[in-house]
Amino acid sequence: MRAIPTLKISISGVRGVVGESLTPTLLVRFAQAFGTYVGPGQIVIGRDPRPSGEMVRQSVVAGLLSAGCRVVDLGVCPVPTVQLLVRERRARGGIAITASHNPAAWNALKFVNAAGLFLTGAQARQLLDIYHQGEYAKVSGAEMRAVEAATGALDLHIKAILDVLGPLPPSARKLRVAIDSGNGAGSIIAPRLLAALGAEVWPVNVVPDGSFPRGAEPVPENLGALCALVREHKADVGFAQDMDADRLAVVSERGAAIGEEYTLVLATRYVLGREPGPVVANLATTHALDALARSYNCPIYRSKIGEANVAEEMQRRAAVIGGEGNGGVIYPRINFARDSLVGMALILHLLAASGRTVTELLAELPPRYMLKEKLACRSDRIGKVLNTIRREYAQWPMDLRDGIKVTLPDGWLLVRGSNTEPIIRLVAEAETTEKAARIIAEATNHTRACLDA
Amino acid sequence: MNSIKIGISGVRGVVGETFTPELVVGFAQAFGTYLDAGRVLICRDTRSSGPMVHAAVVAGLLAAGCEVVDLGICPTPSLQLAVRWLAAEGGISITAGHNPEPWNALKFVRADGLYLNATQADELLDIFHQAEFAKATWARIKTEVAQADAIAHHLDTLVRAFDAPAVRARRPRVAVDCCNSSCALLAPRWLAELGCEVLAVNDDPTAGFPHAPEPRRETMAQLRALVRAGHADIGFAHDADGERLGLVTETGEILPAEATLALAAEITLRRTSGTVVTNVSTSGAIDVIAARHGASVVRTPVGQAFISEAMIETRAVVGGEGSGGVIVPRVQLTHDSAATVGLLLEHLAQTGARVSELAATLPRLVLLKRDVAVAPNRIYSVLQRLYDALAREQVAYDQTDGIKISWPDGWLHVRVSNTESLIRIISEAATETRARELLDWARDRLGKG
Repeated sequence: MRAIPTLKISISGVRGVVGESLTPTLLVRFAQAFGTYVGPGQIVIGRDPRPSGEMVRQSVVAGLLSAGCRVVDLGVCPVPTVQLLVRERRARGGIAITASHNPAAWNALKFVNAAGLFLTGAQARQLLDIYHQGEYAKVSGAEMRAVEAATGALDLHIKAILDVLGPLPPSARKLRVAIDSGNGAGSIIAPRLLAALGAEVWPVNVVPDGSFPRGAEPVPENLGALCALVREHKADVGFAQDMDADRLAVVSERGAAIGEEYTLVLATRYVLGREPGPVVANLATTHALDALARSYNCPIYRSKIGEANVAEEMQRRAAVIGGEGNGGVIYPRINFARDSLVGMALILHLLAASGRTVTELLAELPPRYMLKEKLACRSDRIGKVLNTIRREYAQWPMDLRDGIKVTLPDGWLLVRGSNTEPIIRLVAEAETTEKAARIIAEATNHTRACLDA
Repeated sequence: MNSIKIGISGVRGVVGETFTPELVVGFAQAFGTYLDAGRVLICRDTRSSGPMVHAAVVAGLLAAGCEVVDLGICPTPSLQLAVRWLAAEGGISITAGHNPEPWNALKFVRADGLYLNATQADELLDIFHQAEFAKATWARIKTEVAQADAIAHHLDTLVRAFDAPAVRARRPRVAVDCCNSSCALLAPRWLAELGCEVLAVNDDPTAGFPHAPEPRRETMAQLRALVRAGHADIGFAHDADGERLGLVTETGEILPAEATLALAAEITLRRTSGTVVTNVSTSGAIDVIAARHGASVVRTPVGQAFISEAMIETRAVVGGEGSGGVIVPRVQLTHDSAATVGLLLEHLAQTGARVSELAATLPRLVLLKRDVAVAPNRIYSVLQRLYDALAREQVAYDQTDGIKISWPDGWLHVRVSNTESLIRIISEAATETRARELLDWARDRLGKG
């Protein structure tokens, strides 16, 4: 079998393995292409703290300066901070340097448009055309500007959250919060935000050295240390961020990781309680959210997977909140971006306002069990797999906007190729674990059979 | 006209045209690959494309697994001296030296602080063209860029190398033009260390070049005015990266660029005997001076690396080029305008002589230069016309570098520039009339471009 390539150029940006495919030449060219695309103006850049970040940053700076852009460098910061600053400074765009949940060997560029959103599919394709055409804007030395090192971006982010939500209401007891930033970009801002909200904070993994002390994704199996910390200090809640601090996972007061799917559910509960309105989530997000929206008589709309798609649908539907089941919460009143810091603030306000525990709040929702599976799959095989699934499940209703989502009598199934890695993802949700396991096992068998054929 | 030059002097080009970040990244990766990772020093001059080129160099070096030590804005000789001090494998100076502001360049320095020689430059080019660079994985890539103060170290070295107390005792009044470049951070401090009264002009590294960054008559009028108005004992003009030095006497005379090496040779040979090394394009005054002191002259092709290496071979006591670059071996074996300043001020202080008196002892020869712009695709055929003429007329010539023809009363040198798409013609004779005749003689045989 042909080796699976480590470079992934897609509408999600360009990502690859440092030391293999993600070379400084490639990065410089993409930065030149982006500078050519958005034109000579301010570009905000920021990076997560992974080891290759400095090499990538320098490549990006060189490419942007060459294209005549004015570079505003936020240094190490969360991705949502880059998006917020693009809007605050009325910049032409931004580049976030992060491979988010990918392992340490990876890095990536994510391109932000003037609205602070990731490039839409159409914009991303235009950028790729410029990149491939290879004719980039070039300015003479006399037109080049020095890089502006922007200080105070983190303060501005915290202020933006407090301005909208305010500090936690004064109560008899301060909320006790454990935080695990995974030594990522959240390390330098999450403890400060929590303190500014008025919580008591116990941190773990808040050294921003990009050292991956745990698995990069804030999934339950990586959160042992946080769960122990919650139990040890009898915390009301535990929060875990990914490397670039866009995704958030929650640990209950009992020290149980409740799964990323419920981050958006909890945040939505607080928002709909105060300002009912449309909700948007991607196709793979738990249907517990539909039940919650129904209880508030609010419509829910589904979008393709990917932050840009969710954001686009949110704009179309004038959604009050939206996001993804991987722990990405988008609350447009503060930041039109998946923002773990906003998610934390919403959930803490929910706990304070309701006076209930995380466990109690979850118990109010109908039970849903989700299982996920991923299989290595060359991109040229994905279509074949999807055709097989389509044939096997032909009798059930299907949504074909992003892979295949099948609505089954006792749950649902989603099969799609990843935008970021050479794998195929399978997701199933049902009212019991057994049912979900049955759905995913059957779909996995179909997929394997197709790949082996 | 092509605006890229890749050769023994490094890689240089016009930013916004050929000198792209991709090209720079590629050369930085190639150099990192050539050095097999390790520690690499980098510095830049003050041209406004510096930050872009700097970022591209850092990216390329980090990607190749190098440990980058950034010296910031700093003269090239300060970097060259720091390579050994910091036990680095090499360095990259981001400067187009005397080229105008739109240009920038990378100059590659090896572990002994000297420029890559012709063979090494060829090896680097082969790696660049092959484009299979060393790539550090995430576990090995360096996460940060370190910083160091090479200028402080350069100053320490200079103070120890020269008789500073003798200069301090005289308290000379010195005018200096730093071209608003990296020498602004070195030259005034060095003069202050020597106890000089300093009259500095164009000493703001943020202000942009006030004139072409090359010490010649047209760029030194401001310095001459300062020398006259301030009654200075001497005036020094630095280029953009601290290699070349131009001189103004206390009488307000701008000395030709050729005089800097000639004075350095005169001073050095009065004190020590030994060989002088210079290139084939440099004034015959050097031969006259050497003959006076019973010394010999070794001529090399044009390019600093050739002079440095010949100085090592011959254990020469002084060397340099007619462009104003002088090598003072007690500091280092590369052009260093601050060391040249030290040599001159030390001598004037110790002997009590005036610089105009010293200049008066130099042989009076007239050296003329004419640059003929030739499209890169025409250079070969234009030169061939000259070779054909020389064969037809049975004129003997030296081919150390280009074509050098000597007559009893003068000489003529024709060569292709290392740094621009030009054919340079240089002639020298006792009178301007004769020197001009020689230029015309060459031009007639080259024909129209």
